[in-house]
Amino acid sequence: MRLDGVSILEDVTATVPRGSCTAIIGPNGAGKTTLLLAMLGHVHYKGTIALSGSLGRRCRIGYVPQKLNLDRGLPITVAEFLASAHQRKPLWFGISGSLSERAMQALRMVGGEALASKALGSLSGGELQRALLAFALLDQPELLVLDEPTAGMDVQGEAMFCSLLDHLRSRHGFTELMVSHDIAAVTHHATHVICLNRRLVAEGAPREVLSPDNLALAFGIHMGMVNPNALGDGQPSSTDLPDPSDPPCCAHCAPPTGDAPADA
Amino acid sequence: MPDLEPLLRLIPHVLPFECMESGFMQRALLALLMLAPMTAAMGVQVVTFRMAFFSDAISHSAFAGVALGLITRLDPRWTMPFFGIVIAVSIIAVQRRSGLTTDAVIGVFLSMVVAFGLAIVSRDRNVSRDVQQFVYGDILTVTDAELVMLAVMFCVLMVFQALAYNRLLLVGINPALADVHGIKVAALQYAFAVMVALVVAFAVWAVGVLLVTAMLVVPATAARNLARSAGGMFWWAVAIGLTSACTGLIVSAQPAVGTATGATIILFACLWFLVSYGVVLARRAGRAA
Repeated sequence: MRLDGVSILEDVTATVPRGSCTAIIGPNGAGKTTLLLAMLGHVHYKGTIALSGSLGRRCRIGYVPQKLNLDRGLPITVAEFLASAHQRKPLWFGISGSLSERAMQALRMVGGEALASKALGSLSGGELQRALLAFALLDQPELLVLDEPTAGMDVQGEAMFCSLLDHLRSRHGFTELMVSHDIAAVTHHATHVICLNRRLVAEGAPREVLSPDNLALAFGIHMGMVNPNALGDGQPSSTDLPDPSDPPCCAHCAPPTGDAPADA
Repeated sequence: MPDLEPLLRLIPHVLPFECMESGFMQRALLALLMLAPMTAAMGVQVVTFRMAFFSDAISHSAFAGVALGLITRLDPRWTMPFFGIVIAVSIIAVQRRSGLTTDAVIGVFLSMVVAFGLAIVSRDRNVSRDVQQFVYGDILTVTDAELVMLAVMFCVLMVFQALAYNRLLLVGINPALADVHGIKVAALQYAFAVMVALVVAFAVWAVGVLLVTAMLVVPATAARNLARSAGGMFWWAVAIGLTSACTGLIVSAQPAVGTATGATIILFACLWFLVSYGVVLARRAGRAA
């Protein structure tokens, strides 16, 4: 994949297991978001990306972008935003009753039913991510693609959002593919990891990929922040979690505080 | 050619002003009743996409398009929209293919069309006189044939808006998100640019090259301040555009006022903006209390 004559990604061959939570990690400029945009068909690339949907149909993709190109003063409500991609009738004639109900359902799934009538530009970082997640869930995706979903969130908001994603994935059975900078979040939530630095560094279960050698190769520094005891083998279970009596290795290992999402 | 007389005769009954007895005023009003909703509707997207500078470049290309028509002895009513479309499509194409920022690309094209227009006009004094009509606009000279053209354009634009309003909104918010939903982002951007060029070409008749961007941007900006939803913003913009156009036309025709119609229309739209800004301040104060 090249942009303005500069090579962004080369020789990347990787698999995203169906039903997994796959994280794409790598340093800034590693080509993570570019790979995501290629999967969405938004940028040109050479090679093949095979997305197989259930029963041989086209794979339904839900996409949660990192940010919106949003004029914060634009008077568009969350309900209108959700309807914009799913309704042919122009929004100036209102939102159809059935779509309005579906939008509320999607918002309820992410614990954001109170957001429907709020202006999109007035949402906090966490609320906006919930609105974007509801937007993606409206299509009942088989593949949910998230670009840095927890960027800009505080530690508590990040932990809650990751728990919500885990809950939704286990309930709806979609495959989750997310780009993340946050090695600690990946350690605790991913079941499969693709490590990039303009080319594939490593791919596999977190325990194999998040090794000091691979991380040093990708990031160029020693990543001492990863607690090897917390690394899963691709199937997170209660035994993967550190002992609560141990001092936390990172914010994600700290005992959760605050209210859990309504549906989580 | 359809007979517009029965429709025109209705106008003095609806608006019982002395100035509305004249045929040219009735035609002007009919033209504005179609033009104002068009510019307001397109203005909503121009404001949402932060494309005011883009519409400015297109309006200035209208000046060059008219000059080109006058010098080549072709009808300026055709050369103006044609040249506008060429410039609009070129701006989008260069912006998509180059690594340049949108502002820089528009700036280059704006300079080019203004310089091109001035170069042509400076060659011939007669052309310079004719171009003045397009610089200041003259809605009072609109003919029946032009009204029919405007009606066709009105239908085309409203169909475009009905089909593309939601999609354009999503493209403006996040093009990749629109892509995922099967929206042809590039095709929609080109179609939008062509529609802006056509609307600008028609609006130049009414308010002239200098004020055409205001006709797109001011009602939509005031609507943005007043509305609480994207749907509401559309209706506010149309309402503001229509009331400014009608009031501006009638007030400018009063003997005591006697100002240029286009400029008066824009001044009333600006008055709406000031009111809307007052509403914004009042809302902020209400939230703070």
